[in-house]
Amino acid sequence: MTGVTVTMFNTFLIVALASASILVPSQPSAAPPGGNSQNGKKVFEKLGCFRCHGSAGEGMPQTGKESAPPKIAATHRSLEDFVRYVRAPKGQMPPFSPAQATDDQLSDVYAFLQTVASQPKIELPSSANPQSGQRLYSAFGCYECHGLQGQGSTQTGGPRIGPPQIPFSGFVAYVREPANQMPPYTSKAVSDAQLADMYVFLQTRPQALPSKNIPLLNQ
Amino acid sequence: MGLRKKNSVNRRDFLKNVAAGAAVMATPAAASPSPVPITGTPGAISISAEEELRTLSPAEILTTERTGSDFMVDVIKSLDIDYVCANPGSSFRGLHESIVNYGGNRSPEFITCCHEESSVGMGHGYAKIAGKPLLVMAHGTVGLQHAAMAVYNAYCDRVPIVIIAGNILDATRRISQVEWSHSVQDAASILRDYVKWDDLPISLPHFAESAVRAYKIAMTPPMMPVLLIVDGELQENPIASDATLRVPKLTPTAPPQGDSGAVDEAARLLVAAENPVLITGRAARTPAGMTYLLELAETLQIPVIDQMDRMNFPTRHPLNQNERSRELISGADVILGLEVNDFWGAVHSFRDQMERTSRPIARPDAKTISINSANLSVKSNYQNFQRYAEVDVDIPADAEATLPALTEAVKRHMDASRKNTFAGRRARFAEAHDQSLQRARDAASYAWDASPVSTARLSAEIWAQIKNEDWSLVSTVTFVNRWPHRLWAFDKHHHYIGNAGGYGIGYNAPASIGAALANRAHGRLSVNIQCDGDLMYAPGVLWTAAHHRIPLLTVMHNNRAYHQEVMQVQIMANRHSRGIDRANIGTTLSDPPIDYAKLAQSMGVYAEGPISDPKDLGPAITRAIQVVKRGEPALIDVLTQPR
Repeated sequence: MTGVTVTMFNTFLIVALASASILVPSQPSAAPPGGNSQNGKKVFEKLGCFRCHGSAGEGMPQTGKESAPPKIAATHRSLEDFVRYVRAPKGQMPPFSPAQATDDQLSDVYAFLQTVASQPKIELPSSANPQSGQRLYSAFGCYECHGLQGQGSTQTGGPRIGPPQIPFSGFVAYVREPANQMPPYTSKAVSDAQLADMYVFLQTRPQALPSKNIPLLNQ
Repeated sequence: MGLRKKNSVNRRDFLKNVAAGAAVMATPAAASPSPVPITGTPGAISISAEEELRTLSPAEILTTERTGSDFMVDVIKSLDIDYVCANPGSSFRGLHESIVNYGGNRSPEFITCCHEESSVGMGHGYAKIAGKPLLVMAHGTVGLQHAAMAVYNAYCDRVPIVIIAGNILDATRRISQVEWSHSVQDAASILRDYVKWDDLPISLPHFAESAVRAYKIAMTPPMMPVLLIVDGELQENPIASDATLRVPKLTPTAPPQGDSGAVDEAARLLVAAENPVLITGRAARTPAGMTYLLELAETLQIPVIDQMDRMNFPTRHPLNQNERSRELISGADVILGLEVNDFWGAVHSFRDQMERTSRPIARPDAKTISINSANLSVKSNYQNFQRYAEVDVDIPADAEATLPALTEAVKRHMDASRKNTFAGRRARFAEAHDQSLQRARDAASYAWDASPVSTARLSAEIWAQIKNEDWSLVSTVTFVNRWPHRLWAFDKHHHYIGNAGGYGIGYNAPASIGAALANRAHGRLSVNIQCDGDLMYAPGVLWTAAHHRIPLLTVMHNNRAYHQEVMQVQIMANRHSRGIDRANIGTTLSDPPIDYAKLAQSMGVYAEGPISDPKDLGPAITRAIQVVKRGEPALIDVLTQPR
């Protein structure tokens, strides 16, 4: 065994929570979306939009003082406004240049976002067990790319997932049909109930101390 | 095929020639062929060949004072080679003995290794610090077979190493079944695909020219290993008294500089660009390369993406934008690649799913410029030349040698307006750099107190104790998430040496010790973050470090697995939706756990561990550094997160 695969990944997409004000539905779109929603889903995943906004564009609940990525599914913004915002966002959302996503591709994403709101939402069951989740998280190899604490790894391309940064429904949708390099975890291999256990295990992972309070990280 | 030429003789010819000792002549012709002592200087006694033959036959001459291998040492010394790494082998016993006795075991000094892969790996790391090759000796058969993977790494990493392999080519001179098994028609064939040059000298003058030529070839960019097959008879036969041997003059070859017209075109594109990006892999061969690269970057105020195959660009410099590579490359209108190993890969992304796919990340209208010496030496069989890159300006030249001319051309093309534009970029990049550093620190804070120890914590604990020393990180950082590059301040060429080149595991342990050997002359603190799987390939190199008192701090990244391969098997299991909990089979090193501290201690290396509580790590590193400062190796075993 002498081979090493170097994974390529969207490190710049692992960023950041977007400003709470962005893309929040404001007024009905003037024109119906004309893009290809199926391609839009692929672009949405390739660009890593799901990382902040969830696989169904449902956004993240706000916790503490940090602003959270808003819901963008079924946005009432116009397509023109949507594209303009993606090119020059506010807050912590990274900009996406035409080289990264053409206007046509963003039109497809826009169309996708109009359709996802009608998809059934997967609720996190109250019976989910973090102890079982910890065991499954290790046994099923999640730790290999994301670390035993879900802290993430730039080398493997597995982003930080502990505590989770996307809602449970997005978590399930993503592990079933992941973008980029992550191998898929089908329902044949792992059930929704097992994913729920792992999700609540990840929820129990402690938030990190602010790095400015750790002397070794300020050298 | 005989190897005897006028400048060397075999044992039988020796009797017919003049170079006999006085005591030999005193032996009666009818005397028994018992050992005959030889004293005096060859050639000192005047006697005809016929008379000598009549007098001596059939007595044996069993000793001599000067053999071909002595002259070989003269040649090697002329090349300023400080060390020879080898484990002993009978096919080069003549040269071994001449190095130790005739050469006084100085320049080169014999470094005792326990595996040919370790010998070459040490040479690999050594050259990246010393800026010159050491010598490796090996059997032409089993030795080169052991050495092959390490040679391939050095070839891919463009590192010079001079390798001499012994052989017994004349079938009638092989003295045992062992020598038959250790002999080969074309010994170099096993390495020919991944050395820059090889030769089979058949006389001492031939050896002299080939050795000097080999050194020149190895040291001319693109630098690579070279190989000489040196027959045992050529080493061991006495030198004839009338031999006229001389050591050829070594004249270093000037590194190839880029065509002036192409360099000017590159400069024009860079000056006109609004969003240029500079990507570098091995641009800085020497400390001067860093200076040249800094000057170009600051002249243009161009963001630098350092792939860190060498220490090219300071990690804390505002223009260092390593953490933003994808974003910057995707928005660039001009992309300059300096000794980039895989230019195509730098401007594309890959997806490893059922269907392997890739897509461009650069703008379709982006202009691309490549300066790369690798194009000057391309072979066919092994595919390390990577996918064909469709660049707009292709300059097959050494980047370091070309950088001064490129910077001057850039300055010629700049007017006041462009200077103002460039100056305006700096603040933007400085802010982005600071944000990247803060993001890295924030990311490092997760799992900070975890057990097993996080690789971020491990890296931060080491940095805390070396940052005020003259330090040198002599290991790769890929497997610890590049935390040192993200958290430490690298700003000297010896602060980092890059990686294996060919991704062959087993590189890190010997290369780190070889680099530490070179750093020893400068009194530097060499630091090695050592993966457990890599060390298990040939752990005997720890003994070499202890035996030769090579100071090196090794901190184990002991994740108890060939972790990259755990992930590979996981990918396959998930793809097939079966056994997703069985990726550990055949990929892990946990049952029984390997005690690396005891392993190191058994070979005379100071060692502690295993450490699983991050609070214990700092004090252990402190103690180990005290040992290293005494001039010895030390090892701390740390149980770590997988990455």
